[in-house]
Amino acid sequence: MLSTLIWLPLLGAIPIALFAQTAKQSRNIALAFSGAAMLWTVWIFSQFDLASGGLQMQEFVSWLPVLGLNYDLAVDGLSLMMIFLNSLLTWIAIYSSSSDIERHRLFYPLILVVSGGVAGAFLAQNLLLFFLLFELELVPLYLLVAIWGGPKRAYAATKFLLYTAIAGALILASFLGAVWLGDSFDFSYQQVLQNQLPLVSQVILLALLLVGFGIKIPLVPFHTWLPDTYVAASPPVAILLGGVLAKLGTYGLLRFGMGLFPDAWALLSPYLAVWATVSVLYGSVTAIAQKDIKRMVAYSSVGHMGYVMLGAAAFTPLSMVGAISQMVSHGLILALLFHLVGLVEDKVGTRQLDQLNGLMNPTRGLPLVSALLVLSGMASAGIPGLVGFITEFLVFQGSYIVFPVATIVSVIGTGLTAVYFVILINRTCFGRLDSQKAYYGKVSLTEHLPAFVLAALVVVLGLRPGWLVQWSEVTSASLVAALPEVEQVQLAWQEETSKENISFARQVPLDIALGE
Amino acid sequence: MPTPTLSPTLPPSTHEFADIIHRLEAGGSMLPDSPENLKQIIGIYKAYAVPMDFYWRDLLYIAERVFLNPLPAFKYFISKDYLDRPNAYAGEAGSPRVWRGEDDAHPELREFIAQGEAGRKLPRIMHHLWHGRINMEFAEACMQSMYWHEDINPRFNAYLDSDDYKANADKAIRAYFKGNPAMLGLYKLFPEVFLEKVKQLSYYSNLGLFWEVMAPVFFEMSDLYDEGKLTTVPEAMDFLVNGIFAVAGRPIYHQVFIKGECYEIIPKSEGFTWLYEAALPYVEAIFYRTAPFRGTKSYNAQANEVPRDQADFHYGILYADLFPVGSAGIPPTLLMQDMMHFLPDYLVEMYQANSRGEDDILNQVGVTFQRSMYNVTSAVIQALRTALCYPLDDPNPRHLQANRDFFEMQIDRFKRPEARLRDIQKTSYL
Amino acid sequence: MANIVEIALGNKDFSTLVAAVQAADLVEALQSPGPFTVFAPVNDAFAKLPPGTVQTLVENPPQLARILKFHVVAGRWTQADLKAQTQLDSLEGSPIPVRCHADGGDDFEVKNATVVAADIEASNGIIHVIDTVILMG
Repeated sequence: MLSTLIWLPLLGAIPIALFAQTAKQSRNIALAFSGAAMLWTVWIFSQFDLASGGLQMQEFVSWLPVLGLNYDLAVDGLSLMMIFLNSLLTWIAIYSSSSDIERHRLFYPLILVVSGGVAGAFLAQNLLLFFLLFELELVPLYLLVAIWGGPKRAYAATKFLLYTAIAGALILASFLGAVWLGDSFDFSYQQVLQNQLPLVSQVILLALLLVGFGIKIPLVPFHTWLPDTYVAASPPVAILLGGVLAKLGTYGLLRFGMGLFPDAWALLSPYLAVWATVSVLYGSVTAIAQKDIKRMVAYSSVGHMGYVMLGAAAFTPLSMVGAISQMVSHGLILALLFHLVGLVEDKVGTRQLDQLNGLMNPTRGLPLVSALLVLSGMASAGIPGLVGFITEFLVFQGSYIVFPVATIVSVIGTGLTAVYFVILINRTCFGRLDSQKAYYGKVSLTEHLPAFVLAALVVVLGLRPGWLVQWSEVTSASLVAALPEVEQVQLAWQEETSKENISFARQVPLDIALGE
Repeated sequence: MPTPTLSPTLPPSTHEFADIIHRLEAGGSMLPDSPENLKQIIGIYKAYAVPMDFYWRDLLYIAERVFLNPLPAFKYFISKDYLDRPNAYAGEAGSPRVWRGEDDAHPELREFIAQGEAGRKLPRIMHHLWHGRINMEFAEACMQSMYWHEDINPRFNAYLDSDDYKANADKAIRAYFKGNPAMLGLYKLFPEVFLEKVKQLSYYSNLGLFWEVMAPVFFEMSDLYDEGKLTTVPEAMDFLVNGIFAVAGRPIYHQVFIKGECYEIIPKSEGFTWLYEAALPYVEAIFYRTAPFRGTKSYNAQANEVPRDQADFHYGILYADLFPVGSAGIPPTLLMQDMMHFLPDYLVEMYQANSRGEDDILNQVGVTFQRSMYNVTSAVIQALRTALCYPLDDPNPRHLQANRDFFEMQIDRFKRPEARLRDIQKTSYL
Repeated sequence: MANIVEIALGNKDFSTLVAAVQAADLVEALQSPGPFTVFAPVNDAFAKLPPGTVQTLVENPPQLARILKFHVVAGRWTQADLKAQTQLDSLEGSPIPVRCHADGGDDFEVKNATVVAADIEASNGIIHVIDTVILMG
């Protein structure tokens, strides 16, 4: 049942690669298959049991038992949100791609392969299977950036490839450690959960995962590939990268970091909170300094993923729901922003803030695009009534009890978000349209449609947040329940480290993060 | 009109717009000759002529009938007499008969008055409030501009300040307010205010008489184009030149009808002519100068962004940035709106094919109008050259040099950066 | 000696001018003692104007009179007198530029018209025959 989400897009890639004559045909086939996958996702939602916090709809096929590699899929509230995002944004990315794109028989299959691979990664209940699918998207994405990207695409794609490959190696190392140190060879997630590792090993393995997924998310200071790659990627690919692929990182941290190494997670959580806050501030402040609106949006992504990290670090039931919902809301808003920025670049021919002006003009500007840009800026800055507010508020509400200082600093971060979006909107949408240069082409309804869909979701989920958070509430509660008390772990850590005479300077930063 | 080639006796012009100077010297227009340009200007002449047919009738209606009505709420509700009033240059009795059509209001205009924008018959007041009407405010803005730039019509203005004029106006004012002690009392207290209003009404009459000529000229050009008899831009310009001369001697006057009696405020015997007291001042005041339109742009007078000298004003259609001018409610936009109702199909199709389609139709109409007015200005320049200088094929090099000096002096006015002369040379200017 | 009107009447080259003067009701004025200097356009000069110009003017005597007055200057100005002048004030009120033997040349021009016969003496003035109708402006 869940397999359909993986195989449907992969299947769709075949007729396009083999039979499609024109770019339009390819696009239509890709739309049909991704649309079917989206409908299938809806059906899965209808079958999902809200009351259960555990795994549902399990599928198991024995593949390579010797290696402990099995085809093992299941879904819980966390995965469900991610496959929703993946199905929706894949469809949107395909829809928003130019209908006369070059090498269409390669472009659309690659997108479908990425989509299928990512869906598999979100569903995989086997560490090796996750790793395989995680790596599977790497090469198609490299090609998508390197072939259809902007001027600096070769550089950006290579940088992306190197960073992600290193991330993959670190993640693999951590997975292998988690399994082997537990004296087992079964990579099944449920099996690895049973392994009781010593705290020190947990900390080391978690650190590997943190760096690995930290690159993918990305968190400062592992983010430097992101602006280059997002900016070089064409809008549909940027939507996939920012909206879906980045979520592999946070998903991985929640599922594997938190799930497999609960004690280490609890122990490191104050540091994670500080790290998250630094990411939030760094992303926001850097975005303010940008002159290129796509780069600005890219940096905003760094800041917004920090909120997810903050929610996860606090791991209260509320902050976990917030973190998971924030992943979805960030995916929607970022996709909307990238789509709109793509439209602006397409019609105006520039992304530079000092050249853009007066797009709100009704006769010759891009009035609807501007209006949607304002809406998405408001959503991103967390204006009440829009989905961004709900999810950020959930995170802050949940994390304040645990990390008041980090939370308050992050709240300041949302204020900074408002600053750069005001800059962006003020420079691009308002002011006087230059009549000498500006005669922008009309934006057709089909070009607007993805933005309408995303904007509608942003507004509707902002007004009815229940429809967003209900899916992950029980799962969040059970994820949190599996984690120990922080104080408890700290005591255990002190015992263990004093035993081995390892000295850690820990008290000072803890105090800061805890606000004591 | 002969179209001689450039005389070999004169070296090429070194003017910034040498190409255009040479084109004028060869009997051409400032607007490049192309079928596309011809289609645009003729189409817009037709769309302009229909509201203009209303403008001139209503201007004369206000000048001659509404006169000093202290509450002229219905001055735009023109009487049937004035809709039927024969145009002096159309119909059987036209002399000369410029347009071969009928001399009363144009059928499309009548239909629009009846149907409005709503497209169905409603009381006129409903159409008016619903904005299904001709924007007379534009015509009044033109009148104001001519009235305000006093220096360009010295002879006419001198008469407005003369004792004869004051005596004529006084007679009419007293007759108009006969039996109205309140207004007569006010007149006694503030005679200058009333006189000023009458002077303004004389300009209503002036402009109305000017446009009475232009409407049939434009209708005839449109008909000739439809019949395939106007095939180039210079031909269109020459038609205008001939039209200017043919009616140059038309008297400009102002008369008022009060209780069935005619009061001559500016009698025809004063010798004011269409060319000197209406057409040339109109071109100067409207095409070149006017005044900045409120609400389109902020000007800092302290920084000399508005010229100190009225003669340096350059806010007319030949300089206008049609884009902010497309803002609601300002005079040029009102005109574009009026013309939009009467566009020939071929122009509508052309606008729809451009990238924004009908979204920015007012701007597109404005740019087309700008092109067409460059052609009208070319006709004025050529007519002045005919009147004041020498034939284009004059054998005397000194005469040719005089022609060139004249052309260069005229084109010098388009050297300032706001001028759209450069833009209209390009088809990409929309 | 014949006055200005009589001279014009006696020359068939001035038939249009005479008709115009009669239409504009200026005959009497031009028979008065004056003296006047008249720049008299020949028939060809009127014919050079675009079609309809003359007809409209003839239909509107005050306007026609104004154009004609532009061709008349108070005083008796011979070609020799005009050498020292660059412009004269017409009876219409607007100035008429003149150009007589400028720079030592042999040209004698009135505005954009060329004088084809100069110094025709009349009892109440002098006539210079020109080849183009001159217009104000």
